[in-house]
Amino acid sequence: MDVATPLTNRSGPGTNGAAPAISVRHLKMGYGKRVLLDDASFDVQRSEIMVILGGSGCGKSSLMKNIIGLYRPMVGDISIGGVSIVTTSSEERAKLQRSLGVMYQSGALFGSLNVLENVRFPLDQFTTLPLAHKNLTARMLLHQVEMAYAESLMPGELSGGMLKRAGIARAMALGCDILLLDEPSAGLDPITAANLDRTILTLRQSLGFTFVVVTHELQSIFNISDRAIMLDPVSRSIIAEGKPADLRDHSTDPRVRQFFNREPDKAAKTTGG
Amino acid sequence: MNHAAAGAASIVLEGRITAYTAGPVWQAALDTLANNPDRPVVVDASRVEYIDDVGIALLFDLVRQERPQGAKVEVHDLEPRFAALVGAYDPKDFVQPPKVRRHIGIFEHMGRATAQQLAYGEAMLVFLEDCAAAAWSTFRGRGTARWSEVLDIATEAGANAVPIVLLIGFLMGVIIAFEIGLVAQQFGAVIFVVNGVGVAMLRELGPLMTAIVFAGRTGAAFAAQIGTQKVNEEVNAITTFGLSPVQFLVLPRLIAATLMVPLLAVLADVVGIFGGALVMVGFGVSFVQFYNQLLGAVTLTDFVLGVVKAAVYGLAIAAIGCERGLATGAGATSVGLSTTSAVVTSIVMIVVIDGIFTIFTS
Repeated sequence: MDVATPLTNRSGPGTNGAAPAISVRHLKMGYGKRVLLDDASFDVQRSEIMVILGGSGCGKSSLMKNIIGLYRPMVGDISIGGVSIVTTSSEERAKLQRSLGVMYQSGALFGSLNVLENVRFPLDQFTTLPLAHKNLTARMLLHQVEMAYAESLMPGELSGGMLKRAGIARAMALGCDILLLDEPSAGLDPITAANLDRTILTLRQSLGFTFVVVTHELQSIFNISDRAIMLDPVSRSIIAEGKPADLRDHSTDPRVRQFFNREPDKAAKTTGG
Repeated sequence: MNHAAAGAASIVLEGRITAYTAGPVWQAALDTLANNPDRPVVVDASRVEYIDDVGIALLFDLVRQERPQGAKVEVHDLEPRFAALVGAYDPKDFVQPPKVRRHIGIFEHMGRATAQQLAYGEAMLVFLEDCAAAAWSTFRGRGTARWSEVLDIATEAGANAVPIVLLIGFLMGVIIAFEIGLVAQQFGAVIFVVNGVGVAMLRELGPLMTAIVFAGRTGAAFAAQIGTQKVNEEVNAITTFGLSPVQFLVLPRLIAATLMVPLLAVLADVVGIFGGALVMVGFGVSFVQFYNQLLGAVTLTDFVLGVVKAAVYGLAIAAIGCERGLATGAGATSVGLSTTSAVVTSIVMIVVIDGIFTIFTS
């Protein structure tokens, strides 16, 4: 018996397989009159793990939300697989958003569903799979993020780290090959964080997923990322782009070196006798 | 059906197997296994271009099937990168079916509801004891009352509620006067409608309608505010500062509500009676006649009773709202449940308190 399957576009509906996974051009973003980032341009290639770095409040999460299409840039364009998420119609934007797996800082699980139902939710909404198949897929995803033991718990019963891991499992449920993770390792113990790094690398290696990761965790940055961009809240620009090890060892920018070497600001000089 | 090896059935997978496309493939593959229970099955994956998590679950589901020796399922020619993912799972980890939410019967439901109400009653008594202790402590000067907070809450819960209370009170006066007036007209007793409107507004409807509006508007807000503070661990922060959440969060709300509801009720009384007077003009009773009849119909006791009732309603609504807020569990759903519970319980308690007042003052 030949069980054939129809072909689908790997990058999700409406995208161009040859284009970069994500392309940001001359982006200016912020809130109201407050500009967080001005004239930023970068690409994220397919199967690349790119990390967005920067101090607290520099706009890392906001950049991610602009990429997802939740916020509209003040100026500039953002394309997903060659299709602009800024100028496209709302229907097409919804399709593009479905092709992105997103894990928010808090996990953003639905409070009225248990963990398994949360992970199954995208499959319930967008596939015709029978319940048993959806359950198996969701349980395997939970297994991947070491959350199998918590499948029947409600989000209110989970710790911050557990919420994040369940959020990652849900982000992967539809097989989106572009995953955006907002501080996935924050609040996790070192072993779980290392396991999560390994999961990210495995998914990239096996399934060719593209990752955009917002994180502060230096160890995680060196473990997983191919490339990093660093945002600066003062100049409101990308002040560094490259491999994290190169940035740490060879950057001439003191802000970049300070970040990678985890140095405190210089203490104010004291006077006196 | 292909026969890849002697006696073996074959399933050929090809193309891209993803969440959107795996459904029919998965079912057809399982059908093939079911139709060949005693034969080995070879899954030819050499033509698979790409599989996602659902595709991996499909392959895992096929190889984990319990079948007789010699009738196993083998996956051939799957790209090593995909095979590694399928091989990463142990079938034993997925033997237990997921727990489904158990639907409880009516008796269990009633039992649980009764136990919940008893626990709630007990928690409420403890809470009221804490409130009384906090109030006593403040009264004796040992605790700090946050009067600026009381003023803010009173402004929001009281002053900002004036328009809605005026509207509801006015409409209540109009409705009662009109309904009673139509009946009284048939007996030539229109003038006594004034008695009905006056007594009903002062003793019952003014405080009652004000309390219901207050429960929906402010009781719910108290539960949601404190519930969110509980979820965000602000209540824990207050406790670890050595402060009492009851003193810090609850007492200002109790004071503000106990002061504001009577004032709002007086406004409702006034506009309700005014609304009744307007309607009575239509029945041939002038404002002067209405006023004179009203003075003879209602007493100061009616007015004071209504005000006292309103104060008790306000205290009860605030106490219930705050208690529900402090009892909030975790997550946004819990805040919603607390808010709903606060409003429903408040309205029930308003009616119960009204009944108690009626029994003891009639």
